Amino acid sequence: MRRWQGVVLSLIGIVATLWLGLTGQLALYIHPRYFVFSVVMTVIAAVLVLAAFALGSAKVDDHEHDHADTGAGAGRWRWLWPAGSIVTITAAVVGLLVLPPSTLTTATVSQRDLNGSAATLTQLEIGKLSGGDYSAFTVRDWASLLRSGADLDFFAGKTATVTGFVTSDKNDPANVFFVARFVVTCCAVDAQPIGVPVYHPGWQDEFATDSWVTATSTFQANPDAASRVPIVLIPDAITPTEQPAQPYVY
Amino acid sequence: MPGGQRTGQDRGQWRRPATGLLIGLAVVAVLFVVRWLSPQGSAGAGLPNAARDFATLSISVVIESLPFVFLGIVLSIAVQIWLPEGLLLRRLPRNAMLRRMVLSMLGMLLPVCECGNVPLARGLMVKGLTVAESMTFLFAAPILNPITIITTQQAFGWDNNILAARIVGGFAIANLVGWIYSRHPRPDELLTPRFQAACAVADHHDGRRGRAARSVRMFVQETSAMMPALFIGAALAGLIQVAVSREVLLALGSDPVWSVLALMLLAFVVAICSNVDAFFILSFGATFMPGAIVAFLVFGPMIDVKMLALLRTTFTAKALLQVSLLVALSAAVLGLAVNYVS
Repeated sequence: MRRWQGVVLSLIGIVATLWLGLTGQLALYIHPRYFVFSVVMTVIAAVLVLAAFALGSAKVDDHEHDHADTGAGAGRWRWLWPAGSIVTITAAVVGLLVLPPSTLTTATVSQRDLNGSAATLTQLEIGKLSGGDYSAFTVRDWASLLRSGADLDFFAGKTATVTGFVTSDKNDPANVFFVARFVVTCCAVDAQPIGVPVYHPGWQDEFATDSWVTATSTFQANPDAASRVPIVLIPDAITPTEQPAQPYVY
Repeated sequence: MPGGQRTGQDRGQWRRPATGLLIGLAVVAVLFVVRWLSPQGSAGAGLPNAARDFATLSISVVIESLPFVFLGIVLSIAVQIWLPEGLLLRRLPRNAMLRRMVLSMLGMLLPVCECGNVPLARGLMVKGLTVAESMTFLFAAPILNPITIITTQQAFGWDNNILAARIVGGFAIANLVGWIYSRHPRPDELLTPRFQAACAVADHHDGRRGRAARSVRMFVQETSAMMPALFIGAALAGLIQVAVSREVLLALGSDPVWSVLALMLLAFVVAICSNVDAFFILSFGATFMPGAIVAFLVFGPMIDVKMLALLRTTFTAKALLQVSLLVALSAAVLGLAVNYVS
């Protein structure tokens, strides 16, 4: 049992990776630069796993097992090993094969500082950003500009179209929400939330938190002068939209 | 178990590769069908957000690390079975300290991420590397490796000597750990009984079967050690991410002492690959002092929650506790030195 645990767990990981790759959902978990590498290594591992089945390697490593059993797995607690294996394999099947693939949610936004990480981006790219084609700007670009401390004069007359998921402003949840995205450098574990504030009193009646929307508007001063977000979008129309195939930005 | 009996048994196994292959394909098919029949779409299966994110984060660690672990296992198999005997190890210098210094550079040739280095280091130990030498390799290779150096340079340039401190600091700490453990009177006691047994019997099998069959057998062995560790490590990493608020850590950013400790804790928790950790921490660059970033970039590749789970396949819990404390202290000293000196 124990020696096959690795093969079975590998196989669960292999099938999950290949399925995510085939259905174009790997981007929910890892940066696109790893797609090819992941799929190639997974296919190589799949060949090795099938070879292990073909050669019936279960019998072959008996010898090591004899020694191993004199170690930590021996004695009264011996039953823990198969029990642990079954729990791990079951959890792996549920996590990787049964649960629907999903993006991170507002729960993670509240764990991590929204727009807390955009600073460096702005320092590096502000020159490029401020001269660019504003119609092509993403949530990330606008969030960087807002975070850089540019004032309302800079934003005057510029129209932003942003798509992201809805997450409420911590300080003024009744009137302001953010159109947010996660920036991913490696995999979902390092995702950093960024977002553009939208002033829309009563938004909670129209949009569910974590639902995806597209908002188009010019930037204006926040009518609530005491708010921590001085510059906001005040759109006439906010359109519900589908979650994009690549929900994260890079 | 007498050798003759084993050989006879093996021959029996060998007669039915087609049956085994069919069973394997059937298991693959069953897993695909399970995936096929499971709910689709992002409805979240009715789970609360925190549970969903725990699953997403843990899965992302598995999906991200899995190919690197496979690569590490394949390289380990290559070193143990396919490379000419002693190609790597016999050319190392005789002098123990020089040997460890050269081994810390091995990552330059084999740029695998830290999770892939664990199976590789196991393979090298089976081939005769000492415990101290393998530790030096394990801790140096993720930092002294071309991909890590390039990404760190891209992220930080030459600012604040972050790159230099990372390279020199990583090299120094790995060699310090190696030197300390080379003085250990009974280094075998640092290893788990299961891995000691695997080392002890490795030679018995040499030459008895074809290389391909031995490679497959080794793959089964290594996955049986690595995969449970990877899955459990990923679940722990996901759990800590959901439970520990990152804002608390980031609030400590500007204090020269606390910033170092906070980023080391972040490195331990986030368990990110050394190849890209520079980009990740760059996004906090404005908040944290350079010494804290150096401590993050040096401590993270050596010790984090996922690495501890993987290393536990090979080292005893006591040895890991000692070495974690040693590395943490060294990284903290390095970070504080950068903060106060530069």
